[in-house]
Amino acid sequence: MKTIPPPCPEPESGPKYWRSLDQLADTPEFREWVEREFPSGASELTDPTTRRHFVKIMSASFLLAGLGLTGCRRPEERIMPHSKMPENQVHGVPQYFATAFPLRASATPLVVTSHDGRPTKIEGNDRHPDSNGATDQFAQASILNLYDPDRAISFRQGGHAKSREQALDMLTELAAKAAASQGQGLCFLLERSSSPTRERLQARLAQKLPQARWFVYEPVDFDIHRQAATLAFGQPVAPANKLDAAKVILSLDHDFIGAEEDSWLNVRRFAKGRKIHRPEDEMNRLYVVEALYSLTGANADHRLRVASGLVQAVAARLAMEVFKLTGKHAELANALAALAEPAKPWEKWIVEAAADLVKQGAGGLVMAGYRQPLAVHLLAHAMNSALGAVGRAVQLLPAPPPAGESLEKLAAELNAGKVDTLVIVGGNPAYNAPAAMEWPKLQAKAKAVIRLGYYEDETAEGCAWHLPMAHYLESWGDARTADGTLVPVQPLINPIFGGLTELEVLARIGGLAATRPYDLVRETFRELSGSAEENAWRKFLHDGFLAHSAAKPVAGQLQASAVASVLSEAKPVAAPGAQNLEVVFYRSYSTDDGRFNNNGWLQETPDPITKLTWDNAILLSPKTAQALNIGGLDEKAKGNKTEKGLFFNQVAALELNGRKLSGPVWIQPGMADFVVGLALGYGRTKTGRIGRLADGSPAGFNAYALKAGTEAHAQGARLTVLPGARRQLASTQEHGSMEGRPLIREANKEDFARTPTFARHMDLDSPAHTGHIANDAQGNPKPIYPRPQLNGMHQWGMVVDLTSCVGCTACMVACQSENNIPIVGKEQVAKGREMSWVRLDRYYAGTVEDPQIAYQPVFCLHCENAPCESVCPVNATVHDDEGLNLMTYNRCVGTRYCSNNCPYKVRRFNFFDYNRRPLDQLYRSPFSLNKDGQVEAVRWLKDPDKGTVPADQWDLLKLARNPDVTVRMRGVMEKCTYCLQRLEQAKIAKKVKARASGDVRLNERDGSVPKTACQQACPAEAITFGDIADPDSQVSKLKKLPHNYSLLGFLDTRPRTTYLARIRNPNPRMPDYDARRPHPQTLNEYISRHGSPLESHGAKGKKESVHPPKGAHQ
Amino acid sequence: MTEATAAIPAAVKVEAPPPELERQPLVLNQRPLGWITDHIAGVAEGKTPKWWWVAFGISAPTMVMCFVMIAYLISTGVGVWGLNHPVAWAWDITNFVFWIGIGHAGTLISAILFLLRQRWRTSINRAAEAMTIFAVMCAGIFPLIHVGRAWFAWWLLPIPTSNSLWPQFCSPLEWDVFAVSTYFTVSLLFWYMGLVPDLAVMRDRATNKLKQILYGLFALGWRASNRHWSNYEKAYLLLAGLSTPLVLSVHSIVSFDFAVSQLPGWHTTIFPPYFVAGAIFSGFGMVLTLLVPLRSVCNLQEIVTTRHVELMCKVVLATGSIVGYAYGMEFFIAWYGGNPYELDAFRFRAFGPYWWAYWIMITCNVISPQLFWFKKIRTNMVAVFIISIVVNIGMWFERFVIIATTLAREFMPANWGYFSPTMVDILTFVGTFGLFMTLFLLFMRFLPMIAICEVKGITPQADPHHPLGGAGKGGHH
Repeated sequence: MKTIPPPCPEPESGPKYWRSLDQLADTPEFREWVEREFPSGASELTDPTTRRHFVKIMSASFLLAGLGLTGCRRPEERIMPHSKMPENQVHGVPQYFATAFPLRASATPLVVTSHDGRPTKIEGNDRHPDSNGATDQFAQASILNLYDPDRAISFRQGGHAKSREQALDMLTELAAKAAASQGQGLCFLLERSSSPTRERLQARLAQKLPQARWFVYEPVDFDIHRQAATLAFGQPVAPANKLDAAKVILSLDHDFIGAEEDSWLNVRRFAKGRKIHRPEDEMNRLYVVEALYSLTGANADHRLRVASGLVQAVAARLAMEVFKLTGKHAELANALAALAEPAKPWEKWIVEAAADLVKQGAGGLVMAGYRQPLAVHLLAHAMNSALGAVGRAVQLLPAPPPAGESLEKLAAELNAGKVDTLVIVGGNPAYNAPAAMEWPKLQAKAKAVIRLGYYEDETAEGCAWHLPMAHYLESWGDARTADGTLVPVQPLINPIFGGLTELEVLARIGGLAATRPYDLVRETFRELSGSAEENAWRKFLHDGFLAHSAAKPVAGQLQASAVASVLSEAKPVAAPGAQNLEVVFYRSYSTDDGRFNNNGWLQETPDPITKLTWDNAILLSPKTAQALNIGGLDEKAKGNKTEKGLFFNQVAALELNGRKLSGPVWIQPGMADFVVGLALGYGRTKTGRIGRLADGSPAGFNAYALKAGTEAHAQGARLTVLPGARRQLASTQEHGSMEGRPLIREANKEDFARTPTFARHMDLDSPAHTGHIANDAQGNPKPIYPRPQLNGMHQWGMVVDLTSCVGCTACMVACQSENNIPIVGKEQVAKGREMSWVRLDRYYAGTVEDPQIAYQPVFCLHCENAPCESVCPVNATVHDDEGLNLMTYNRCVGTRYCSNNCPYKVRRFNFFDYNRRPLDQLYRSPFSLNKDGQVEAVRWLKDPDKGTVPADQWDLLKLARNPDVTVRMRGVMEKCTYCLQRLEQAKIAKKVKARASGDVRLNERDGSVPKTACQQACPAEAITFGDIADPDSQVSKLKKLPHNYSLLGFLDTRPRTTYLARIRNPNPRMPDYDARRPHPQTLNEYISRHGSPLESHGAKGKKESVHPPKGAHQ
Repeated sequence: MTEATAAIPAAVKVEAPPPELERQPLVLNQRPLGWITDHIAGVAEGKTPKWWWVAFGISAPTMVMCFVMIAYLISTGVGVWGLNHPVAWAWDITNFVFWIGIGHAGTLISAILFLLRQRWRTSINRAAEAMTIFAVMCAGIFPLIHVGRAWFAWWLLPIPTSNSLWPQFCSPLEWDVFAVSTYFTVSLLFWYMGLVPDLAVMRDRATNKLKQILYGLFALGWRASNRHWSNYEKAYLLLAGLSTPLVLSVHSIVSFDFAVSQLPGWHTTIFPPYFVAGAIFSGFGMVLTLLVPLRSVCNLQEIVTTRHVELMCKVVLATGSIVGYAYGMEFFIAWYGGNPYELDAFRFRAFGPYWWAYWIMITCNVISPQLFWFKKIRTNMVAVFIISIVVNIGMWFERFVIIATTLAREFMPANWGYFSPTMVDILTFVGTFGLFMTLFLLFMRFLPMIAICEVKGITPQADPHHPLGGAGKGGHH
């Protein structure tokens, strides 16, 4: 859909077309035009009650600011449209802007859709050299933070609102004071950042204020990767894992698919090495050693569950074996023997994995996760070095150490009373600093705290000044992506609440001449690109990156002595026990470290492992629970016990070195024994309307309360169940077992090689095979009702590759953003009323102690023979001639029969007016007071459009909506549409382009077939959408693959979305490989119920020629 | 009687059957026709008894509560019920099928038993038909209010519009619209037509002007002429003929709501006969529940005799056994059919999370009616009353088991769920009993609850050849 034209360099000489507002600004006509805002539709926009009211104001302020009518003399802060020129701007047609989502020390390059001046959808920038246009769930959901009504909206001094000017005056005063004292007593606490401009500003300020101190804190910090590599290779480098170049990958607690930095990038590279379309295709192999069940573990071919502390032992034993087999780094072996001792029980596993790694040589890759100590990282580097992977599967990128000391150092300064002014930029230490530090008390020791924060959160309390921070979509900035490429952070909208950016605050405190972020960023760009030309800058903004600015990999030689010295300091770790539990703090897949706590989309996106929403839990393995006398495991369902479909889990108190917390216990199959998993990012005491549940209590509990320092895991915890205490948890999946049903069809690579069509033999007989139903000429059962005429120009279809799908949930959030899907709140999720159009089914197979996980995204499959259509009494769901199963919201009366008759249960019903009611007012009757203090019925009579949502929330909510997608009211059924709005836009664009040529068919050759939102966001490229009537389309080709199958195909629903069976690639020499049942666990479960689709169907395979498999239709 | 038989020559004299084989009379104690009129009309004409006020005082507020719940539901959203994904239908459709089922006995008694010349039907048909109409009204509420946007429910009606939007005639819900509305219309007409001669009786007996006018208005000028009777009988026969297929069609079509879908546990061909049998079963259960106490409080034991109750018990026994057979057959087919989804669905029914509902259903519907093999129990009014209530509980559970347990666990385990009712679910359902009872209480206070003219027609003296028979001898007709 995005047509990206080449950048249009404007000649410096020759005729000039007006292309910026300033050029016309001086003409009186233009001034008038601006005042009238929308000359063409001005009359309809004057009505204050129209939903565009707010947009109008936004757009107006945006234009006015750009024009300098507010006092600026010359225009700056101009935004370059990514693809469409302003003169072509058509009201209602979206524009696309390149920007980037900075997160910690990296960034995701983005293209953001803007509808009439408001950003509505985030997508990855596929022109970026290191991106396929994918994103992760955080980037997708970050747009909702922009429209968060609970964000900091005013400048405050001691809690009292002040004007922006007063705040700026304060900064100027501070700058003067600091300049006088050379920054004595001035401390900055920052978050990690990859922004070259911030780096530059820091350097400038360090010159001007040499006495000022700089500190950096991240509760979840990935800097250890850089530290370890720098130490291991004796030069300032950071590792970049080229997973696509690796044949065998071994992860030492390295959750590269989920919790590590730039997971979207890792997923893309990992999935690249796992695209198996034919049995002869190559496929990488993943070994995972971990304590929790992570997404990476879920995708492992072999998974070893050990306590986090013991990963070091496994790494040591593995390294010994690798060194022995490769004959390298023999000098390290001595130091390892003691460390490796606790890994004895897994000897065979480790030896075989090492052998497999060594066999691949440079194609092997060992990675250590951020939760592991330095020693494990160094061992990983040593192994990679021994394997010859350094410079191949793992590359070293130059990475100068970031300026900034640790939080502990700042704590010492504060304790010593040496801090006059503490400037906290971003972050939320009062919430996420280790509990042992007692940050709120520490913070009070500073004479004045000035905070630039996105929320008035825990840290905001007691601050002398609190300045609202601008969202990255409102700010000028820059960043570097994982490969070091410079990317712009350009705003799509003026700060809605007039917030400041980090760069501006730093520049003002430094008393710099240029304080406007735009100038600062441009200055940096000039330095980095070496070009002051306007065109270079414009191209930078247009493309969204600076070409060839990626860091050049450097060669590295392992500094064995440095490694040895660290290893000599490492102590062997004993295994945890029932009275000595190991606690692992992990970055939540939903709220990150707590920064997305008030983001409804993420709160409601189920954790891909536990499937919990709106909560974290004390995760325990089944055996640990048993040892601690905690019931609640349902062996048959392979999950936690439900009471009438609801989870009421026991609440336990967890104590670690005197610090305590309590929370609900969740028994997590597959976790290492005597390990407690605690997700960070929940239990915020001061957060917005989303971070608190309807009853006002925070969502989840605060796991930071247990932390002594920056450690990510610690031993010595004790857990006691609080008798009688229960907490209800909301999980989107109650049953974890697939019950031997052929839903996700899996096989090992050998199985696949032997019977490539195995997936088609796993279905029940389709009705076409039975004698009593008459067949038509094609051998399909004759329908009772006339089938939809599928004679459209395009025939849309989709293929989901289950081998590639890693279960990262990016598709779910992308769909939510694209399709205006409301959130429903914890209580409703617990009831099973979540609205997400994409369901990510997670099944456990095998034992509950050590199960395998398989994922299956399920959305509307657009059945050609759709069971929902024939049962709708009012024709609200119908078929179009291009094969889409359409839903006419206007016509729907809400009988819900379609949902009942859908075998996949992908339809979602609006049980309440989720779009127009706050989550805690869903059950309010029209005769009760709403949040604005008005009787709801009276409000309705006055303004039927608004709903009970408070006015501030409502205005922002409206901005976040995609105007191309209907916002559904209550009582209406909805479901995936294959992003119909994108299809229609693409068709219109193509028609406009075709003019008289008649070439109106979308095709993949010219890139006119749009991507669905889920497909676009998928970093693994597991989702392929396209025209199955075009034999050359990717989707047509995939549908011809032998392992393509229809879900529940025997029902003759003929879904247009089909699945490619999942192929696993285990190593037959591993101890967890059962030679008698050498199949994935789900297949074993299937075989025990139905027989093998691999062998006994050999004869049936011949029958196939007589009866083409109906389940595998198309 | 002896006088009359003595006059017949011995050659043509038929031996009187032994007393134990003699049919029990349908109206006891050889009551004269006038007594019958007085007695039945007296229930509606007399002073309102205390128990009526008590019953009305309970049922009317319950009915109001039902309407309050419905107002809350429609104004706030279907979410106030316990429905969810995947259980998108639960108590709403359960209650609908339950009430529709109850509505079956009336028409069966008035139409099929009429055509089969079952003379005993006359004592119970009026009340049963009224019950049918009120039950169908209760039933009709649920499909109307269960939809997400109740104010658009009329879109199910085939009203031609300028943009040619028609309902979807393939949908069983659409068939329901026709089946239920036809059934209601015909039942109402049938009931009203049968009422006409009795309304005339009420008119003639009216003690004040208002009653006279109102009864007279609805009596449509009935003067009991031979021509009137002749037309009446013909029309009655015709309507009986029309209603008979409806008895079978309504519940067959209601069963199509499930049978036409493709869920394991719903998609079975046994549903139409099984639903019809179940409906008659529950309908007779409800007739018993109503008439057993009524016959004693209104002193109607001589008209609604023990024999009537016994006969109804036998129908309950027969249909209960059919239902039991159907339950067994479902399991057999699930196993014999070899479809693992189907097999699992039935496994979950009996042993899954809703096992209790299933076994309540089996106990109430299959085991309890078997007690009616015993005459002692059939003739024990307390026992019959209790079992009739148990039968209705069981039949409600049958619908719940079919609807909720099937939806809760079908094809994809990741999507399995569970349904729990909310207070609104419960109070709405309880409220419909209020509506039903209110209407029934009003009916028995203002209309003759037994068809006076029909009961007279089956008394021995109605026979012109009977010594007491013929016009002019048995009081007014």
